Amino acid sequence: MQSVLAPHGPEAAAVARLGWAMFAGGALICLALVVLVFLAIRGGAGSRRVIASERFLIWSGIFVPVVVLAGLLSWGLVLTGARIAPPSPGALQIEVIGEQWWWRVRYGTEAAQKFETANELRIPVGRDVELTLVSRDVIHSFWVPSLAGKVDMIPGMTNRLRLHATEAGIFRGQCAEYCGGPHALMSFHVVALEVDAFEAWLAAQRRPAEAPATDQSVFFSTGCHGCHTVRGTNAVGTIGPDLTHVAGRLSLGAATLPTGAVNFGRWVRENQHLKPGNRMPSFGFLSAGEVDRLATYLDGLK
Amino acid sequence: MPSWLPPLGMLLRCAAVLAVVAIVGGFLTIWSGFYSVAASRGHWPGFELVLEFAMRSSVRTHALLIQVPQIDRPEQARRGAGHFQQACAPCHGSPAGPSMLVARSMLPPPSDLKDLVPTWKTRELFWIVKNGLKYTGMPTWPTQQRDDEVWDTVAFLRELPAMSRERYRELAGFAATDEAPSRTPDEARLASCARCHGDDGRGRDTTAFPRLDIQTAPYLLDQLKAYANGTRASGFMQAATAELSAREMAWLAEHYAKARPAAAAPPLEADSLRRQGEALFRSGAPEQGVPACAACHGAKAADRDLRYPALLGQYASHTKTQLELFKQGARNTTEAAPLMTTIAQRMTDEQVRAVAAYLAAEPAR
Repeated sequence: MQSVLAPHGPEAAAVARLGWAMFAGGALICLALVVLVFLAIRGGAGSRRVIASERFLIWSGIFVPVVVLAGLLSWGLVLTGARIAPPSPGALQIEVIGEQWWWRVRYGTEAAQKFETANELRIPVGRDVELTLVSRDVIHSFWVPSLAGKVDMIPGMTNRLRLHATEAGIFRGQCAEYCGGPHALMSFHVVALEVDAFEAWLAAQRRPAEAPATDQSVFFSTGCHGCHTVRGTNAVGTIGPDLTHVAGRLSLGAATLPTGAVNFGRWVRENQHLKPGNRMPSFGFLSAGEVDRLATYLDGLK
Repeated sequence: MPSWLPPLGMLLRCAAVLAVVAIVGGFLTIWSGFYSVAASRGHWPGFELVLEFAMRSSVRTHALLIQVPQIDRPEQARRGAGHFQQACAPCHGSPAGPSMLVARSMLPPPSDLKDLVPTWKTRELFWIVKNGLKYTGMPTWPTQQRDDEVWDTVAFLRELPAMSRERYRELAGFAATDEAPSRTPDEARLASCARCHGDDGRGRDTTAFPRLDIQTAPYLLDQLKAYANGTRASGFMQAATAELSAREMAWLAEHYAKARPAAAAPPLEADSLRRQGEALFRSGAPEQGVPACAACHGAKAADRDLRYPALLGQYASHTKTQLELFKQGARNTTEAAPLMTTIAQRMTDEQVRAVAAYLAAEPAR
């Protein structure tokens, strides 16, 4: 699900090719060293004289490393240079904001089409996706090994990254730069969908939350809306993730738990136990009945 | 070693024998029971001086590093006086009356604070009030989690030596208990609450005490229980609630919740601090992770979780003190408190002052 060795897009494939070339080259160099060490110990006087000569040292100790490293550097520069080239026209634009310890994801360029989600990117298969990567607090690093190389999110800077999925699938990503306490639980999913499915998802996401069939009073009386938005209601908090369609996502707590009514309840009551140090306080004082009603409401936000 | 001294080995043996004799002799003396612990007999001549010297030295040294905060705000001495009348006057007496006879028969008898207070530095008084004094009967403060109430008491003590009877009676709220004796037991209980909080929960026209009239009965009852069982730390309120029965607590909660909030005060000119507080109350400070206060505390009681207090109309000094306690983690003991601890710790001191000022100027709902 998350491996540089299993690329699912051209960006990741290029990184994987470079990786394989390095592994292969490294193996060759290692082999050559073993042979040289063997010759130095057991070889005849002639081969030992060659190994000890100044000319051999200059060629194998200076010339070869310079050529190899320069080659790798140019390859790397060309590879990353292609990645930060101007976006192709028609690329899907997504803004990803790293925050301690989750990912705020914004779609849409026109006001009417804008919406916000969290900890999950859905992208269409076969189309370029242009990510704008920024950070709200400390340095994070955006990395989906199966789709692209990693790019740091640095406060005050805007970095770009192009994704292109060649087949549908779910690809795990994670923060690859230590960013404090629960850094290890700052993950996300990229879901590559066929174009039709993606367009349907996009249209559904743009809609506000449907009027709930169940009781939503606990959400508002206990103040969830102080930090969270549910479009279509009075909940307009912007501190935590937008929950408008939270139940339609794969995970909560930045890929800490799979979604579902039971886990919504667990998250509300004991998130500080599940993901210690995260910025949401635990609501351990809610009664079992209140947690049930709240979890049912959240699970209805498909 | 000079030749006239016995050899070292012999000296050591003598010392060992003397030590054993002293320990065994001491034990036998105590075991025999000839030493009298009778308070009626007083101390041996000179022994009291030694005890006094030890006590003064200990307090002086332990109080050395205590920083004295501001203690000259009038509301501080008023809160201290309310507690003094309830918890200290029975043994120490007060400008309004002598101590209990029983207390005066203790050894040592509790001091007349009028003479004694001036002999201590302010930080030493704080240390004594907070920690109590071994072997004297002076108890420790009911909670070690917060110092603000101890300083209130010290603020009062500093005023005490020069305090008139009338001033003391006014500060400690004697009017509430002076009324006609024809009362139900519940009303008599209420009178002791009313010495500080007033009959209507508005703090006797001062801003020294939190407004209770803006709260709901379930919230007040929860807090009374939390004080009584020690989960909410307060030397003042733990002392005041320790003896209340569950039924009395419910009655008092109902009484104060029923009190009609005062008619809206004439709106004050909105200064910049209050405007900042209003913005924080309504919209929070998302960039700091501080949600709008109104999300939890703003709605009418019907739409609010009753574990959350009402805040609109609350006096600024109380809001400020409580937010500071939350920041220190000293209020992180009741069940819903971790929420507010998290939020308060993200607020700046200026935001605390601003929101306290805004709330105090708003009419209760």
